[in-house]
Amino acid sequence: MSTSEQRSTTVKERADIALNNDFLRKAVRFTTERLRNGKQIASTEHGNWDEWRERGRQIRLHTIAHLDYYLNLFVDNARANGVHVHFAEDTAAATEIVMTIARHKQAQSVVKSKSMVSEELHINHALEEAGIEAVESDLGEYIIQLAGEGPSHIVIPAIHKNRYQIAELLSEDAGEQLPPDTTILAGYVRRKLREKFLDADIGMTGCNFAIAETGSMVLFENEGNARMVTTVPKTQITLMGMERIIPSWEDLEVMATLLPRSATGQRLTMYMSGITGPKRQQDGDGPEEMHIVIVDNGRSSQLGDPEFQELLNCIRCGACLNVCPVYRQIGGHSYGGTYSGPIGAVLTPALNRNVAEWDDIANASSLCGACYEACPVKIPLHDMLVYLRRRKVERGLGNRWESLGMKGFAVVMGNSKRLGAALKMGRLFQKPIVHNGTISLKVGPLKGWNTYRDMPSMADDPFRERWTKLEQELDQQSVTMDQTMQDRMEQLIQARQRRQRGDRNES
Amino acid sequence: MSRNTNPSMNEAKFSDTEKGASSVPAHVEHTMNTPLTRNNGNSATHKNTITNENFINPANIENAEHTNNIASATNTANNANDEQAQPSWLAELEQQSRRQQQTFIDHISSRLGRPRATEPPQHPFRGAPTFWNEWSWNEQERIERFTAHFQEVGGHVVSVDSLEAAGEWIVQYAQELKAREIVRQQLPELQQLRLEQRLPDVHIAVWNENVQIDWRATAAGADIGIVMADGAAAYTGTVMVTSSAVQGRSVSLLPTVCIVLLYKENLHTRLGELLIPMDQRGREQLPAGVHFISGPSRSSDIENDLTIGVHGPGIIYTLLIG
Repeated sequence: MSTSEQRSTTVKERADIALNNDFLRKAVRFTTERLRNGKQIASTEHGNWDEWRERGRQIRLHTIAHLDYYLNLFVDNARANGVHVHFAEDTAAATEIVMTIARHKQAQSVVKSKSMVSEELHINHALEEAGIEAVESDLGEYIIQLAGEGPSHIVIPAIHKNRYQIAELLSEDAGEQLPPDTTILAGYVRRKLREKFLDADIGMTGCNFAIAETGSMVLFENEGNARMVTTVPKTQITLMGMERIIPSWEDLEVMATLLPRSATGQRLTMYMSGITGPKRQQDGDGPEEMHIVIVDNGRSSQLGDPEFQELLNCIRCGACLNVCPVYRQIGGHSYGGTYSGPIGAVLTPALNRNVAEWDDIANASSLCGACYEACPVKIPLHDMLVYLRRRKVERGLGNRWESLGMKGFAVVMGNSKRLGAALKMGRLFQKPIVHNGTISLKVGPLKGWNTYRDMPSMADDPFRERWTKLEQELDQQSVTMDQTMQDRMEQLIQARQRRQRGDRNES
Repeated sequence: MSRNTNPSMNEAKFSDTEKGASSVPAHVEHTMNTPLTRNNGNSATHKNTITNENFINPANIENAEHTNNIASATNTANNANDEQAQPSWLAELEQQSRRQQQTFIDHISSRLGRPRATEPPQHPFRGAPTFWNEWSWNEQERIERFTAHFQEVGGHVVSVDSLEAAGEWIVQYAQELKAREIVRQQLPELQQLRLEQRLPDVHIAVWNENVQIDWRATAAGADIGIVMADGAAAYTGTVMVTSSAVQGRSVSLLPTVCIVLLYKENLHTRLGELLIPMDQRGREQLPAGVHFISGPSRSSDIENDLTIGVHGPGIIYTLLIG
């Protein structure tokens, strides 16, 4: 199920498949609920959460607004640390750089820690085509690699699978029956991957944050696999989105406060590693050669776009997925791209530039704004979804029937006589399809709504037509009722006027 | 505070990893018998606070013979971009990258709709909010919170009076576990634990003592790794370890059990108290690896069940000294 295959279907078709998969729906709901509650507890415990969010937003806004300065500073410092820095405009350029390094290193095996950029670039396919084994070492990534799938969550790639399905996959890999016990399953992966780590020629990582002032890269993880990947193999390749920059270690405290709490509800991930250059000459471990590939791949097109620049503030915590009422029902694969959930619905069309092919996922949202509430750097994702829809219509790519309907709606609503006439017609024509005060006909435009619920029928005596009469009644009542009140009011006013006159006389 | 050992659980975990240890490649030297280093006269200590000199400097290295070899091994970043040392393909990639840098960064400036920024911009929101930087816990609170937070996620904390007591504790723990291989960093404090004398039946490997050995494989085969923390933050329950010629990253990563020694005076309140000194130290003085460890290796990948050990040590102890 690679993304390129999925693109031929619509989000609705993919969601239908997911909605009919009870395993997936239960697994996604169970785990997103855990994550959501964890985040709730962790952010409440920390306190002043909104002030921290605002601080996180300000740091990200500032960095992106000066990205040319900070990225250049990072590159110069990383080079001074002995890192080979490369620039890749798109997938092809990034793949070319990685493959050139792998070829010259005569690599047989690349061991990887979790990297959304590498998923975006589909680097595993390129490596495998060249006959190089690519091993995902993050437990969740290893599971989906075995299943031949892409990640369905930014933080928990195998969120759509429960422990029983995972036990099945790993049992097949092990050649023996493993029980659905997380400790045993993780123990199996530990033993299996230990040798892979020690044998690997290249370690490949992503990058959570890159510190401009010292040229360091920072990785957050729980398993220790990213530490393995940056410690054991002789060559390290880091794939980094060009917007991952923060100015200083001091700023890292804010990110380290926001990211783990928002992602998994932890105070801090078990490991946070700052890597500054390859191993020093006399060090006994660490990579001898270190490469950082800075990837654009559509990111720069959001720069200078007032509606979408804030998208680059994203710290990839996945909190918006966990609270999204749509994601929680349809899971990540329905979004069709590497990134799923509300952030994916906006990021995928933005990164792919060919908006026309991807814009249907912008409709997979109820615009409730839960994603914004959850976002640790306050990205207004729900507004961006509206902008995407608007741009689609402006390009003339809107649904013709929808546009026609909207025009009709404007004509009717623009004139009260027309609206009155239309409502009368509606009441007349609904008669044959109303049963017990509701309409349950599943035909035409009514189908989408009525498949899951009934529509109430139009009232026989609508408020709009009763208003003239109601208003008169109200007027009459108010006159009779107000008589005593009015007397009292008049007395009050007279009293005040007398007082004011008295004041003036005194002065 | 009482010892926080649970022998039955340790036994179970331990036997699990002995299987892991046996899967290490056969070339791992299990029976090596390197002469132990002795330099008890070295009085250098690790008790400095984080804002002062705390990374290992060559003078602290316990073995005088090694001091010569490693004298140049400060934490100063190496200049691997030395053109002569590079193979031609790499030099070519490097040149290509330098050509692209200008275009790539200029493209960002043009997208931002202004000329290229070359002066450092004003950054009024640097770091944590002001109110955050204005508080701290007293020592008692720091110890209590650190212990609670580290234990909450499955780590263990043991308070000991002195380095001597820490040594005693480690000896007893290693005997309980029937450990056969221990790897430790090459630091004077760890030398003072006198594990070599106290555990004659256990092979104690001292990191990077002999450059001929595959140290990564040694660490992978070890039952216990012993490291010194440079600092810790009570608020997140985090210890910080750094890399150098005598402090392998593998020591806190590859063994089954990790034991971290931490002086109480290096236990701070906030994470920022460990991070801000990195800025002050500056790029040239940073070690290649700085690792912030907040508990045992875990995974959240199966049903976000945060209860299991994966690639790193599943058992971690912090010995709080002082």
